[in-house]
Amino acid sequence: MQLKNRPKISTALAIASCSLLGHSAQVQAGEEALDDWKVDAAIMYYGEEDRVQAVEAIGNVQKAFGDESLLDMKLVVDSLTGASASGAVAQAETQTFTRPSGDGQYQTAPGETPLDDTFHDTRVQASANWAEILSPVWKTNVGVNGSKEFDYFSLGLNAGVERSFNKDNTTLVLSGAYTLDNVDPVGGRPVALSSMVLRGDYDTEEEYRAAFDQTRMEGSEDKKTMDMMLSVTQVLSRRWLFQANYGLSSVSGYMTDPYKILSQVDDTGTTQGYLYENRPDSRLKHSFYMMTKGALDAGVVDFSYRYTTDDWDLNSHTLETHYRYYFSGRFYGQVHLRYYQQQAANFYRPFLMTGEPLPEYASADYRIGDMTSYTLGLKFGQRLSGGHEMSYRLEYYQQNPENNGFDLVGQLQDHDLFPEVKAIIAQVSYSF
Amino acid sequence: MNRTIISIVIAISLSACSSLGVEPWEKDQLARADMALDSEKLDLALDDHIYFSKEGSSGGRSLAGGGCGCN
Amino acid sequence: MSIQQQRASSGFELSRRSWGHLGSFRAMASPCELLIATQDENITRAMMALATDEARRIEQKFSRFIEGNPLWQINHAAGKASPIDAETASLLQFAHQCHQLSDGRFDISAGPLMKLWRFDGGEIPKAADIEQARALVDFSKVSFNEHQLQFPAGMSLDFGGIAKEYAVDRVAYLLAEQWPAISVLVNFGGDIACPISKGASNEPWQVGIENPQRLDSAAALLEIRQGALATSGDTRRFIEKDGKRFGHIIDPRTGYPVLKAPRSVTVLAPNCVTAGMLATMAMLEGEKAEVFLSEQEVEFKCFR
Repeated sequence: MQLKNRPKISTALAIASCSLLGHSAQVQAGEEALDDWKVDAAIMYYGEEDRVQAVEAIGNVQKAFGDESLLDMKLVVDSLTGASASGAVAQAETQTFTRPSGDGQYQTAPGETPLDDTFHDTRVQASANWAEILSPVWKTNVGVNGSKEFDYFSLGLNAGVERSFNKDNTTLVLSGAYTLDNVDPVGGRPVALSSMVLRGDYDTEEEYRAAFDQTRMEGSEDKKTMDMMLSVTQVLSRRWLFQANYGLSSVSGYMTDPYKILSQVDDTGTTQGYLYENRPDSRLKHSFYMMTKGALDAGVVDFSYRYTTDDWDLNSHTLETHYRYYFSGRFYGQVHLRYYQQQAANFYRPFLMTGEPLPEYASADYRIGDMTSYTLGLKFGQRLSGGHEMSYRLEYYQQNPENNGFDLVGQLQDHDLFPEVKAIIAQVSYSF
Repeated sequence: MNRTIISIVIAISLSACSSLGVEPWEKDQLARADMALDSEKLDLALDDHIYFSKEGSSGGRSLAGGGCGCN
Repeated sequence: MSIQQQRASSGFELSRRSWGHLGSFRAMASPCELLIATQDENITRAMMALATDEARRIEQKFSRFIEGNPLWQINHAAGKASPIDAETASLLQFAHQCHQLSDGRFDISAGPLMKLWRFDGGEIPKAADIEQARALVDFSKVSFNEHQLQFPAGMSLDFGGIAKEYAVDRVAYLLAEQWPAISVLVNFGGDIACPISKGASNEPWQVGIENPQRLDSAAALLEIRQGALATSGDTRRFIEKDGKRFGHIIDPRTGYPVLKAPRSVTVLAPNCVTAGMLATMAMLEGEKAEVFLSEQEVEFKCFR
């Protein structure tokens, strides 16, 4: 013991004893029951400039049954309003579109990116997961999840086994999931690559209705997803761990976005009509993910890299990091950075040309086009008494869609066909 | 190209496990709540949902699943 | 740390005094006393019931002499992880901080060394045995979090150096929470806490400190209105060999008792665990006990 440190001991002990005696006062109140439950709740706002706004509330309850079993239940409710890009290109003239339901129209001002503002929905999602420790080295979990939106229903099952090796320093997890989604779009599913009919082209409502119905198919469609993932987590040292995952996902069924369209333009870049998009009905995806996480003296840091590729030729690279610093034992700040870059799916095209033969598949949805995006986030967390924690998060997310090599003809050169999308994410969380 | 590099890394980390790691009583730092892989699971779940609906790829960190009509 | 087999008799004794009530019972191998500043017998009985229950709960949970109790299970885990509750975790956390603050001299895993230095009038242990025992003593090999605890097989934990002081504080705080207007002095074998002030208009509580040279006779009278005190001392247990006096305070880093330690150290502090730990750390300082305590800016009394 160094002499100069000595006067601190009585103070340090007094502080240590306070947490000892303060904490145990709760043991008396509820015995051990308090420790069995863990509740996390958060409310998040997501807002894009002039586009989608969403509020999402999420609650997660964990209940331990003895030392061997854990039940985890989650409920998510979100509500979306606002407009999203329909896929059509901006024009020098005012554009008129038929709403997806066929009831009514909306217009886009000259030079503006066409946005479909009919988009609003409420989603409820619930999931439950049961984890069981079978032996010191084997763990297993099974779960169900379901979600419901106005035009969408999804039900999924998942299961996993975990085996630890090498004094718990290496963990291998194999998990799988099966999800069945059902889509029942407003106004029916559009016929693939059929032309949007406009009320103005018909004399009577009946004629218009008959023509609109020609572009629609009745009934709902299914989408089936099979996921498999192999994950290895390795303790590298007293402070660092490493994780590597390989994921395989096979999707089959209806993957077309029933609300997205493509503009068909002539040599001058002027729109002659709009076609409903069409995507392949199968997709095989691979993902590779690597992450390392370190415990620092006054913080935590993680870095991750993800590569995904699929048979739509949509490849992506993601780099992400979180760095947390504890200003005191009770208060921390955290920085989040994320960079994402994707290469367009092979059937993506920002528009179609009249006179050229129609491709089998086409989509002008910028979300499957060339794009880079980045996220900058800040979070502050506060530990309250009794193990409660409150945190606040504010992030900025920007998407920069890019042209993947299409010649912009005529007036298209005058418009921003690949506008940036800027969004703010704000979140408050509470755990107890 | 990328695929090979990553599978090599996975292979290395698997074969090296017998020599990597720490003793059980050296896990004090790794046992910290903030070192758990799901230490911020609500944030991760919300982020996953945002990026799932706004970008063309998903999953990687955990199972991608379906369950959202946004993409 | 010996003769602990004698189990406390159930119940407690109560007698009326001019200033209130004196209640007593046995727990943790010590006479336990509560001085309660109220004439209300119902309240006094409720307080005594709470105090005996809590003291025995802690003894039952943390005594290393009770087969099958939570500590016994931890000590018999043979290197495997044991589940622990929040209370055990916070005691471990406190022991961990004390281990660090004392540069490894306060160590609740020092049991194997203590066992060698039994002080039953016998010999000094062999150096080889001490080395063997020392290999099993090192709190930094104990890993724990809020839910579980793990240490290498062969090691063991002993909360003897904390549990009694902890029990005193727990009882004192529980009583203060429920009866915030009544001053109570909790005294478990010389470890004392009194969180609620006796009040300026009343006589302070008077506590006698044992004189290590003349056992069972008070050598000094301390007056307490509020606060806590604890005593660490080798009043009864020591070995004298070749003119050297080996006390019962063992330095786990050397494996030998601390030389030139005071016979007893009494420290006043805001609560009993702090007082107890400062007294123990002062003993571990040996010759420099008084210097150490004056630097801590606490009131204390050393007997040499």
